[in-house]
Amino acid sequence: MRPFDFLEPSSLPEALSMLAEHGDACCIMAGGTALLLAMRQRMLAPETVVSLGKLDELRDIAFDPDAGLRIGALARHADVAGSSIVQAHCPALAGMAGGLANPQVRNQGTIGGNLCYADPATDPATFLLAAGAEVTIAGRGGERRLPLRAFLVDYFTTALESGEILTAIHLPPPGSRQMLYRRYLRTPAEHRPVVNIALSAVTDGGALSDVRLIVGAATPVPQALAQTEDFLAGKSVNAAIAAEAAALAGAEVEPLSDGRADAAFRRQIVRTATRRILLDAAGLDWKDNAA
Amino acid sequence: MASTVIGQPVPQVSALEKVQGRAVYAGDLAFPGMLHARVLRSPYAHARIRSVDVSAARALPGVKAVVTGADVPERRWGVAHKQQHVLAKGVVRFIGEEVAAVVATSESVANDAIDLINVDYEPLDALLNAGSAFDDDAPQVHAEGNLAHEIRIARGDVDAGFASADLIHEDVYSTQSQYPGYMEPMATVATVDGTGKLTVWTATQSVFLARQRLAEALDRPVSTIRVHQPAVGGGFGGKIVEERSSVIAAFLATVVDRPVRLGLSRLEDFQSGCFSVPTRIRLKMGMQNDGRIVAKEVDILAECGAYAGLAPEVMLVTAMRSDNMQRIENVRSRARLVYTHTMPRGAFRGFGGTQMLFALNSHLATMADKLGIDPVDLHRRNAIRTGDTSVHGWSIGSCGLPECLDQVTGAIGWSAKRERPETGGVLRRGIGMAAAMHVSGNRTMGNWDGSTVTLKVNEDGRAVILTAESDMGQGANTMLSQICAEELGIPLSHVTVLAPDTDTAPYALGSIASRVTVNAGHAMLKAAKQARDQILDAAAAKLGCDAADLSIVEGVVQSTVNDNLFAPLPEICRYHIFRHGGEGILVTATHDPRTVMMDKDHYGNIAPAYSFAAQAVEVEVDTETGQVQVVETWLSDDCGRAINPLAVHGQSNGAAVQAIGWALHEHLQFEDGRLMNGNLADYTMPTADALPRVNSSIVESNDPNGPLGAKGASETAILPGAPAIANAVYDAIGVRITDLPITPEKILAGLAALGEKNHASV
Ligand SMILES: Cc1cc2nc3c(=O)[nH]c(=O)nc-3n(C[C@H](O)[C@H](O)[C@H](O)COP(=O)(O)OP(=O)(O)OC[C@H]3O[C@@H](n4cnc5c(N)ncnc54)[C@H](O)[C@@H]3O)c2cc1C
Repeated sequence: MRPFDFLEPSSLPEALSMLAEHGDACCIMAGGTALLLAMRQRMLAPETVVSLGKLDELRDIAFDPDAGLRIGALARHADVAGSSIVQAHCPALAGMAGGLANPQVRNQGTIGGNLCYADPATDPATFLLAAGAEVTIAGRGGERRLPLRAFLVDYFTTALESGEILTAIHLPPPGSRQMLYRRYLRTPAEHRPVVNIALSAVTDGGALSDVRLIVGAATPVPQALAQTEDFLAGKSVNAAIAAEAAALAGAEVEPLSDGRADAAFRRQIVRTATRRILLDAAGLDWKDNAA
Repeated sequence: MASTVIGQPVPQVSALEKVQGRAVYAGDLAFPGMLHARVLRSPYAHARIRSVDVSAARALPGVKAVVTGADVPERRWGVAHKQQHVLAKGVVRFIGEEVAAVVATSESVANDAIDLINVDYEPLDALLNAGSAFDDDAPQVHAEGNLAHEIRIARGDVDAGFASADLIHEDVYSTQSQYPGYMEPMATVATVDGTGKLTVWTATQSVFLARQRLAEALDRPVSTIRVHQPAVGGGFGGKIVEERSSVIAAFLATVVDRPVRLGLSRLEDFQSGCFSVPTRIRLKMGMQNDGRIVAKEVDILAECGAYAGLAPEVMLVTAMRSDNMQRIENVRSRARLVYTHTMPRGAFRGFGGTQMLFALNSHLATMADKLGIDPVDLHRRNAIRTGDTSVHGWSIGSCGLPECLDQVTGAIGWSAKRERPETGGVLRRGIGMAAAMHVSGNRTMGNWDGSTVTLKVNEDGRAVILTAESDMGQGANTMLSQICAEELGIPLSHVTVLAPDTDTAPYALGSIASRVTVNAGHAMLKAAKQARDQILDAAAAKLGCDAADLSIVEGVVQSTVNDNLFAPLPEICRYHIFRHGGEGILVTATHDPRTVMMDKDHYGNIAPAYSFAAQAVEVEVDTETGQVQVVETWLSDDCGRAINPLAVHGQSNGAAVQAIGWALHEHLQFEDGRLMNGNLADYTMPTADALPRVNSSIVESNDPNGPLGAKGASETAILPGAPAIANAVYDAIGVRITDLPITPEKILAGLAALGEKNHASV
């Protein structure tokens, strides 16, 4: 790691002006779990690091019946998992945050840092896309709000402009939606998901509507499985429907091939994940329903 | 009276300082004026070094020295094959080989200077695959060719054995390299004093072998070098004599004449190896219908990477050790070790045993199935027994293998689980077992396997032990302290083991070949008995009684016949000094076991004792994701006698975990000779989350040659894990994986092939 200056602004405006002053020679640090690894390997060598650590206003988690959940960008995964507000209004989000990575990372890494780094092998983005999340970004010119879909541009690339800070993530009120999330490790010894999947749907007397089925970790950015979503609309899930949806999902996903797994393997896991999450949602046991 | 120390589950004597973060490791040391070193590594698997331009690096402020292969001694170092220089000279033979080094006032400056070194390489064709080593157009790794070593062993009449067999089975197994994954990456601090003496603090399993190697590599007399072993955070074989950074650090200290620290980052530790030896093993075995093995033939191709190191010795173990586990007469093996342009491979816990025991136990399970015999029975029928002399001349003084088998199969509920009906469904369960043997000690170097311990009893009755046998975390110091405390009748806390230091400790080979308990334990026993005799003689003189009537109990010398005759130990120790012309109690004892070095035909009883182990596991296979979970594991280690059962359980459980990692999770990925996952995020060693409860038990076969009956523990325990898992996977889904690791992809491919086969046969 190369030497660098470490700045700790105590307000958002101060942070923004520091970013403006140092420009591209500086980096934002939240929990540092991703940033410091990159700096140690000299993939990044900022002259200045601006820590958000003292911006307590960015840690808040709040709920409003009309606006829904607002999660401060600086909330750590463990904060999200342990928040009674999240547990009350979106238990599946608490479950996702409490099940990713390992205790060390959950106690240090933030949900905002996770989204800003845009590493495909992560969990929150998949879930939040299915939840229909939006994000707020602060810049010198003020705030802007955009759908998470638009924020996540590509592999390690977001819509953040230089000098901007992600401040919050918003989830619309869940209403009668059911949300499920599952992650798959290639082996039990790995930390990061090789595939994850989020299902969000309204179940009307058994039939699904407004289905969102998002697959992540398998793709450069989480992918909505549009054909599978269409296929499922209006259907009640049973073993045959789940198997058919799994085949569709496997066909339409565009998986990555990298050192962790090749595309064919990921495709197989996507099939499995689709079948299982649908059966789970329908309260059916996937263990005796091999595809 | 039951002992209060021996056989008791006492925590490691170093536990407190380690959990408090106060143990001092090599990388923690700092000296006034200390400089920092960094190393430049080759980006090519094979290249000629045309020239190295260090001028820009030298000009950087803060840089004290930049050295290249041109600056290092001509003399080559190595184990049997002398082939390495301190830094590569003229040619690089693997990606990661050390080409140049910088010494600077800080690590950061040294890193910057490394980036300024300009090496002009001429890339050459590289041999990256052991299987192509003998091709006509194969690039040559060394001038003498790509064959590093060849072993042929034959006993009995193998052809007649096969002719008499009812069943012959042949298969090919392959095993991958494993990274030792110790907590402490290699670190060294070296300095030269005003007399020219070179002193080196380094993470090593053997200070004397380290000193020998430094003398060779730096081409200077042994006695001009002093090696200290600070606290070591694990070795697993990787810190015996093959790592290279300590050699570089020591050389740099001689160049700058100031203290130099070279601590490898985890990434560099991966890049420099030393990983275990990968093998390809063809195994052919003949059995009679009752399961008796009548012939065995193996052909091994092993890969040592760029330099031979200890790999020839490792391969010898692969080629013959497991033959001694069974009563067999007809064996033949051929083993070839080849060079490749990849990082050197060598010693690793189990020392070549893991590779062959994977093949052997997989093979036995398959043949048991074919003969309709329970594999446990097959092991029992063939097992060597106490009192036997094995096919290679090993005298088995104790064999607890049958008891190990009883323990693990009883614990896991083997018979009931074998009989349960197949359930079908997505998740399938299966059970598997394996057995293993290992040496405790090995007579090789200098036809000697001795160990010497010096014991000093201070004037307050407390003891100090000097030894160069190494504790790298496995518990040697606790074992020595326990034996000493027991014999002297003093509390464990009154014993201190000094850290190994070549200038003060007696010569020793160090922690290799599971030899420390069996040999140093004996030396300790002798030394403590001698010291005790001296104490009792002094006490007898002082108390006016017969020494034979005295004993030491809880720090008090006490008559066994007259309660009124007693004296606190410190009083006697002081008395000993004053009445013996100022001489305190200082004894040295040596134990060289009565073993026999192998002859040229590899025959001879090389170890004072042999230890055994067995393991049974249950796995759950997810037939849709290919994931294998070990859901239950039981391991039993016949360590002769558990001087410290807590330590034995720790070693057994750690070994079981390392074996699970090797079998299922740990896979070094190479692309064109470059290690792609050399970090702990991508090289996935099992974490607590990945493991079930890990169970171990102990068999005490009380070896007649072991100190207090003890043999080695821990290396044997790593041997049965991988095949037990492979056998359990087969039991669960009918897919036999013969090439490690057992990945989800291989499981899915195996299931698909099985499906096609079943389809075709319908
Ligand atoms: C061993 C390991 C295992 C992991 N496993 C998982 C896993 O299973 N699932 C998973 O989802 N994740 C996993 N992660 C990733 C982890 O969740 C992220 O590293 C973490 O969430 C990043 O947050 P941070 O606060 O530490 O970010 P930092 O490291 O501080 O920052 C990351 C990047 O985001 C930028 N940044 C941070 N905050 C902001 C902000 N508010 N506005 C603008 N830019 C910002 C930084 O400049 C930097 O470029 C793992 C990480 C490790 C090390």
